[in-house]
Amino acid sequence: MAQISATEQKGMQQIDLTSLNIQQLSSLKQQLDQELNLFQESLGSLKMAQGKYQTSGETLEKIVQDAEGQDMLVPLTGSMYVPGKLHDTKNVIIDVGTRYYVEKDIEGAKDYFNRKVKFVTEQMEKIQWLGMEKSKIRDAIIEIAELKVQQQQQQQPQQQS
Amino acid sequence: MSDDIQRKLQNELDNFKKTQKELQKTIQNRQQLDGQLNENELVKQELDLLPSDGKVYKSVGPVLIKTELVEAKHNVSKRIDYINAELKRVDNMIITLEKNQDGHREGLQKLQHQFQQAQVKAALHA
Repeated sequence: MAQISATEQKGMQQIDLTSLNIQQLSSLKQQLDQELNLFQESLGSLKMAQGKYQTSGETLEKIVQDAEGQDMLVPLTGSMYVPGKLHDTKNVIIDVGTRYYVEKDIEGAKDYFNRKVKFVTEQMEKIQWLGMEKSKIRDAIIEIAELKVQQQQQQQPQQQS
Repeated sequence: MSDDIQRKLQNELDNFKKTQKELQKTIQNRQQLDGQLNENELVKQELDLLPSDGKVYKSVGPVLIKTELVEAKHNVSKRIDYINAELKRVDNMIITLEKNQDGHREGLQKLQHQFQQAQVKAALHA
């Protein structure tokens, strides 16, 4: 897929922005706008995922060893509960994705959520960095496009006279 | 003359729009596959971290069914292979569609040019 980047990369063509015409510049800007929007959306969903992993990790802190046998209410639906007892406080079952669930002990589960939070945070940082780079290019494109429009306007009265 | 060009122009425009729509759909498909690949790879990493006697469950509808770790690993690897093959297929499709789109775009530009020239001619004769 086509990539736009300020830093030179293998297999990428360097294009002098000033050599493009206004139409090309505007379609380039449109493409960048779309990408930036997508980044914003992705950041939002990543933030949500980060929050979910964090709460799950924090909930683990509440399951302590001596809570075994403790009474609790288990939600069957959003509004219906049945009484139950905590049977196993050493292990939890974690949804790892694609419908697979894995049993882990409390420490392992904490480690899992910590790793996930770290992973998601890293992805967010990457996207933020990319977003910054792309907005810089977008600003440059707008600047050049404005310059070109000005030049055109200056040329037009000459042609008419 | 100008009617003829106009009809061709409309025809080409329809074709262009059709390819554009198809391309968008294919790209969406690709993004979905990409997401699935990512998810499966994360699951694989997680399964690889488990000790060999680790307990794995698979959710089938509302129940969790215990699965052998080896079997789960095998299933996930197979799915990753399948998704990779699908990705390759979709990538090729995107390349062809992009080529088609460029062809239609060029045709459109040519026809537009012809149309304008015909109009200028008509204006001169009038």
